[in-house]
Amino acid sequence: MIVAERKPLDEINAMLKGYRRVLTVGCGTCVAVCLAGGEKEVGVLNAELQLVRKVNGDPIELGAACVERQCDMEFLDPLEVLVDHYDAILSMACGAGIQFLAERFAEVPVFPAVDTTFIGANRDVGWYEEKCRACGTCVLGMTGGICPVTMCAKGLFNGPCGGTNNGSCEISNDQPCAWYRIYERLAQQNRLANIMEIHPANEWRNQTPRTLVQAGYRRRKEALAS
Amino acid sequence: MTAKVETAMEQIEIATGVLVVGGGMTGVETALQVASQGYAVTLVEGGAEIGPGAESRPRGALPDGADLADRVARVRASDRIEVLSGTRLDAVAGLAGDFRAWLGTAEDVIERRFGAVVLATEFAVKPLFLGYQLSPGKAVIGQSDLENRLAEDPAAFAERTVAFVVGFAQNGNPLVMQRVFNSVKALQAAGAAGVNVFVADLKVADDGLERCYREGRDGGALYFKLKAAPQIATAEAGVTLTFPDPVLRRAVNADADLLVVEEALEVTAANADLAAMLRLDLGPQGFLQADNIYRFPVATNREGIFVVGASREARSLAWALTDARNAALRVRELLGDGKRSVPRDKAVVDIGKCTFCLTCYRCCPHGAIYWLAENKPVISPVACQGCGICASECPMDAIQIGGFRDDEVQGRIGAALADVNGDPAIVAFCCQNSALAAGEMAAQFKMPLPAGLRLVQVPCAGKIDLQYILDAFVKGADGVLVMACHPGNCKSERGNTYAGWRVEDAQRILAGAGLDAERLRFATLAANMGSDFRAIVVDMAQKIQELGKVSQ
Repeated sequence: MIVAERKPLDEINAMLKGYRRVLTVGCGTCVAVCLAGGEKEVGVLNAELQLVRKVNGDPIELGAACVERQCDMEFLDPLEVLVDHYDAILSMACGAGIQFLAERFAEVPVFPAVDTTFIGANRDVGWYEEKCRACGTCVLGMTGGICPVTMCAKGLFNGPCGGTNNGSCEISNDQPCAWYRIYERLAQQNRLANIMEIHPANEWRNQTPRTLVQAGYRRRKEALAS
Repeated sequence: MTAKVETAMEQIEIATGVLVVGGGMTGVETALQVASQGYAVTLVEGGAEIGPGAESRPRGALPDGADLADRVARVRASDRIEVLSGTRLDAVAGLAGDFRAWLGTAEDVIERRFGAVVLATEFAVKPLFLGYQLSPGKAVIGQSDLENRLAEDPAAFAERTVAFVVGFAQNGNPLVMQRVFNSVKALQAAGAAGVNVFVADLKVADDGLERCYREGRDGGALYFKLKAAPQIATAEAGVTLTFPDPVLRRAVNADADLLVVEEALEVTAANADLAAMLRLDLGPQGFLQADNIYRFPVATNREGIFVVGASREARSLAWALTDARNAALRVRELLGDGKRSVPRDKAVVDIGKCTFCLTCYRCCPHGAIYWLAENKPVISPVACQGCGICASECPMDAIQIGGFRDDEVQGRIGAALADVNGDPAIVAFCCQNSALAAGEMAAQFKMPLPAGLRLVQVPCAGKIDLQYILDAFVKGADGVLVMACHPGNCKSERGNTYAGWRVEDAQRILAGAGLDAERLRFATLAANMGSDFRAIVVDMAQKIQELGKVSQ
């Protein structure tokens, strides 16, 4: 899941300076699961904004909505009738959702209320760990199910480097060495030979936004385009 | 401000079979007691046989009249009790009235449905030689060893001097002392020349123990109550114990032919795994029951899972057998005739809103929430206690508690603030188990309370949503009090803890919004603390007077 963190109230309030009618839109998928931008967080944020504006003697009218997913246009349809009434939208979705909202309602300023942080897993209530950098070239099959792109400070596909330090990374004793863990996991599974295989370097330079059309849908996309 | 709750009820069918885990004395007695209430019992024992082989209590902790063989025979003869020995409890899912258990035998895994589970696990008996820097030998033996020798050949102790050390290597308890007292009397009966007991604390808080102690002393045993363990010198022929005598003000030596070292009766290593499997809160020393003043003795944080005997405490067999009878009554109360009337709206999940984040499942202190593969979370109306912790943690506000729906509570906050004219408005969210009663007491006793104080009832402080606190300020409160039960007193284990965390979070938020964080306070109370309630709200009102009203 995509994990996000609520922005500080100060930052949000500064973005909304001068706006009197704001619609706060939550997202019921990833940011709800990570307790950053679901219906409850929309209510809490609106209460915070109301309080800060009340204290500053600058009242604000706030609307609240929460859609299933802001990264699907169809789910944005119900907002159509609401948006006209407001002079800004505050989105609590991840960066993808915010941009879809901004694209859909291009005439209204859309502001982010959360920082999209990483792709991660849920360790416990409110506790998330980054697990994937979406590099597009998954090597987990070779690395014992531990991602070196995410876990290694250098993002090495082939490791460890000379900086491995008794299980820790050279950058900090608190940071485990990804490749040490990979070694241990592979040893545990009797497949240490995997570590000897050299994985070619990823093309990290000149990255442009990626578009993916699943194989079975390429024909359809072309047909729709023509 | 008492919420008027009109609840629609519905009838549900629940399973009435009962799983009893553990085939020692306590488990066997539990099976008999539950069966005598008319329920079908499955008695599961990991070892080869139920009965003496499964019993962990050493000989000295089993009174003479403890007729285990007779009980086993009655279990075997009962057509309501199925005995599965050599069987592990592999997994348990579901909730009270509808547990599913997977029982692993050597050949197979059997799945069964039960209405209730009773855990009758056994002790681990741990010798404490290391606590005295001793190793067992000819002149140094453990308590169990002594008990066995006394039973087999008492004559061997004639004219011998025996010393005990007890309470220095562990926090003593009556069960440990009972074994010593009984051995002292047995040694005297066997004609021992002398018995000296070196003890840290004489714990006699159990039926007949004081008498038992006195009988040994009257028979000539000497008890030395010391602050620290005596120095012990061992030799082939015996031991010499050296200890300071406070009257003579010098060290004194006492020789003994045999030194008996105490033993601990502890939980087994399997307890922690069992707790994790059953989502039970562990209590002191790893027993399967956390302290909670609201519960009957054999209840756990999970409805329908009961603990008896060694599963819950190190006490004498008499107490374990009382537990067994108690558990049978609790089982009958829960399962009845298999039909239960439950409130339809105790806790309702809006499946359309639910995003299946598992927050509710993880937060529920009663383990009352589970999910089905084809469904979203389900809150069992049998196991749910209505505390509302889940509802206040749900990021989608998808859970509503009967009588305390979000719209109802927010309406009450608004209504409470509507008639405050001019005075500083203080909203006090009060747990109905403590602070609400304390507040009502203060009002009934005509204690002077701030004019702008308004109480809002919640089923548990765990139901006080972050949003309620902020809404109160938005709706015009100048101060908010969150009033919960004292630490360790929460009926729902952690409702007060959650409330405390939320207050901290809300104070951070208030400060960020430019309000003084002192406008929000957290306090804990008990139901009988009317004057403390008054002191807290008056102090709060003074603080709000100092800070002034929130600017409009």
